[in-house]
Amino acid sequence: MAELSDKDIIEKIRNGEINYYSFIVKKYTTSIYRYIERKLFKKDEVDDLVQNVFISFYKAIEKFDEERPIKPYLFQIVQNELKMYFRSYKKSFPLDEGITSDDKKEEFKIEDIKLLNIQEKEIFEHIGEGYNYEEIAKIFKKPINTIKSIVRRGRIKIKLACASKK
Amino acid sequence: MKKLEDKIINRIYKIETRKTIEKIISEASLIILIVLSSLFIFSVIVEILNEQSSFDLFDFLRDDFETIRSFFVNNLLLFVQELPLPLIYVFFGLLLILIWLVYISFKNYNIVKNKLVSLYKFWVKKLW
Repeated sequence: MAELSDKDIIEKIRNGEINYYSFIVKKYTTSIYRYIERKLFKKDEVDDLVQNVFISFYKAIEKFDEERPIKPYLFQIVQNELKMYFRSYKKSFPLDEGITSDDKKEEFKIEDIKLLNIQEKEIFEHIGEGYNYEEIAKIFKKPINTIKSIVRRGRIKIKLACASKK
Repeated sequence: MKKLEDKIINRIYKIETRKTIEKIISEASLIILIVLSSLFIFSVIVEILNEQSSFDLFDFLRDDFETIRSFFVNNLLLFVQELPLPLIYVFFGLLLILIWLVYISFKNYNIVKNKLVSLYKFWVKKLW
């Protein structure tokens, strides 16, 4: 059994002999565990991530090219899992009462912002009325990308104006 | 580490058990559904042909060989013309799907069998 190469094991798993997956698990768990352990701050979540890595690999085994080595593929999955983990644990701030009530006070009208030109104001008014970019592009007879650029520039101007007000 | 490995294997088996059972049930129910639909459509076709008395076109087969030879092609063409074509198309379509499904099932028979053996061994070992 120990003489089986990764390629043979993959072929056997594809052939339905899923008990052979334990060979892959036993072979690579330690290295993956150590790698993830070094990267994570919460040690209790290492187990979950290692499990996810092996489950992802098992699900992808049908598509896996058995000519390629397993280890780099597994570590690519590890990278993706870590990315997803860090993304889900990004610092987020809850929106408390104070912030929402302040927002009401700081409501602004598009007309108040002198920086926006007439066209930008009109486009923003249309957005406010619920038109989408395609419809606005048809109304103004301009390409959709131009409308998007105008909106982006307008937003930057509004942001700057709000920042300078504060 | 042994504990973690066992956990991983456990989860893999759970996923595979669910997947295999779902696959077997869905394929079996699809085959049964197609067989039943084909039988139903076939019975409707026979019923229609009976009502039209189309099977009478084959009465000449009881006659001597010379009569059969002279009427065979003509009567067969008449019979084909009397067939309810839309139903025949549906029937053959279902038959083709059925053949394809059975072929796929036979092709994957070994894989499913090996999977079932592995799953059986694992769960028996775990439970006893």
